[in-house]
Amino acid sequence: MEIQFKDVSYIYQENTPFAHKALENISFKVGSGSFVAVIGHTGSGKSTLIQHLNGLSLPSRGEITIGDFRLSADGKPKNIRDLRRKVGVVFQYPEHQLFEETVAKDIAFGPKNFDVKQEEINLRIEKLFPAVGLSEELLERSPFDLSGGQKRRVAIAGVLAMAPEVLVLDEPTAGLDPRGQREIMDMFYQLHQEQNLTTVLVTHSMEDALAYADKIIILNKGQKYMEGSPLDVFKQTEKLQKVQLGVPEVIHFLNQYNERFGTSLNYQYQSMPELAEEIKKQLEVGSHE
Amino acid sequence: MDRKKLVEFKNVSFQYEEEGALVLNQVSFDIYEGEWVAIIGHNGSGKSTIAKLLNGLLMPKDGEIIVDGKKVDDDTVWDIRKDVGMVFQNPDNQFVGATVQDDVAFGMENRGVPREEMRERIQRTLSAVRMQDYLITEPHRLSGGQKQRVAIASVLAIAPKVLILDEATAMLDPTGRKEIMHTVNDIQESEGLSLITITHDLQEIVQADRVIVMNKGQIWKETTPRELFLQREELREIGLDVPFVAQLTDELRKQGVPLKEAALNHEELLEELWKFNSKM
Repeated sequence: MEIQFKDVSYIYQENTPFAHKALENISFKVGSGSFVAVIGHTGSGKSTLIQHLNGLSLPSRGEITIGDFRLSADGKPKNIRDLRRKVGVVFQYPEHQLFEETVAKDIAFGPKNFDVKQEEINLRIEKLFPAVGLSEELLERSPFDLSGGQKRRVAIAGVLAMAPEVLVLDEPTAGLDPRGQREIMDMFYQLHQEQNLTTVLVTHSMEDALAYADKIIILNKGQKYMEGSPLDVFKQTEKLQKVQLGVPEVIHFLNQYNERFGTSLNYQYQSMPELAEEIKKQLEVGSHE
Repeated sequence: MDRKKLVEFKNVSFQYEEEGALVLNQVSFDIYEGEWVAIIGHNGSGKSTIAKLLNGLLMPKDGEIIVDGKKVDDDTVWDIRKDVGMVFQNPDNQFVGATVQDDVAFGMENRGVPREEMRERIQRTLSAVRMQDYLITEPHRLSGGQKQRVAIASVLAIAPKVLILDEATAMLDPTGRKEIMHTVNDIQESEGLSLITITHDLQEIVQADRVIVMNKGQIWKETTPRELFLQREELREIGLDVPFVAQLTDELRKQGVPLKEAALNHEELLEELWKFNSKM
């Protein structure tokens, strides 16, 4: 589903002395099927922004369209339930929201609320479980007996079981070890491609934004600060530094390398061996001049 | 070596449930005065259990733990906790005071530190973590990194001999992480205490003197960061990633660029490449 923000502002506690503008005149468009990373400091408006994607918050000004749904200050649209079924949100530390007696019941809770039949839910779980890296033996266990990584996967399965068309991920790998982080991100990326999802990833990791996103939106103090493809955004090191954001380490290293050796090596999604080869070649050529 | 042993783990085993698997299996190591040791491992490798055993939050099933000459048991645990200060993962779970200075004072009040001494220590420890301008700030107005810095000050105020940071950066954003690592560096130099940092981020072990790598409840390796960064494939097998510079160094060596040792940071790698370049 296509997502479009038109001059969206959101003000907490409007018309009170505590009024606080969390989003200010934000406009952008995310095409159906694209993978967008939203980056910004704590307090930049990222969380407020994603709360608008399934109507948890409605804009104070401006308008949001998500597929055929329209959100504005005029109040909740009648079909907001349909919107919430189609937009799955994986919040930070989603495992804190597990509550049922068994894993199977916990996963079924969401779809059941949307009147999905138990047989259909079972079918979905059957498909989902291998995809999220869980084995079916766990289905009748209590979610509270699982390891941290497994709990996170169960919570994610609960969102995926609603068969959303838009997937919103709020720092989905926080607190996991490197292998867990890689596995979870690869899993989302695979689902994104196989099911043609539109994915919105909120992250602090420039590395993940570079690896998975086709578009990056940078927020700063509630405003859109930058928007573009990862390579374009990360070319603008100085502009990012102005708001205390860095670039992915590989790009930072190449910048330093170029400065020291007077070269112009560019990052073009090379693998680590390819990069090493380029550097080696460059060193050899450079020395014969 | 005549450095003083501050912490000794002697064949320590631990399991959470009687019939359950051993979370720690015959673990032995020493930590010396003034030393910075990083303990790393994937989730569930047993690294955090070590921290909890160190200050008596858990008691070993087998083996013994000695802190500054005292065996950790039910009789000594309260003394031990004066010597072993801990900062945990979640910045929101470790605030007790209504303001920053109240929070730092809390631990000292429990230990009956005189008021004047308390004032002096609050100033000193908050300066050490560069939070001296936030004395009367309410905790919820602080960022995650600032909260963790105050948590470190609160622990420093009770003058422990060992400071343990148990994944203290895991829930912070990159800025917060940098703040904490910077702070840790500062205080290790200025306070001269032993430091144990527990993490799965190998970027954070660069400045440690020594590294203990945990895997499946056992010590997989005891080494230095530089040595460890050469073992990229093996680390990957136990769920850990070496930092970018170490990966690139490894690939360059595979391509035949004769780099002598693992670089710990960009500058070192660039310097090595520069030397290689001028020799050609």
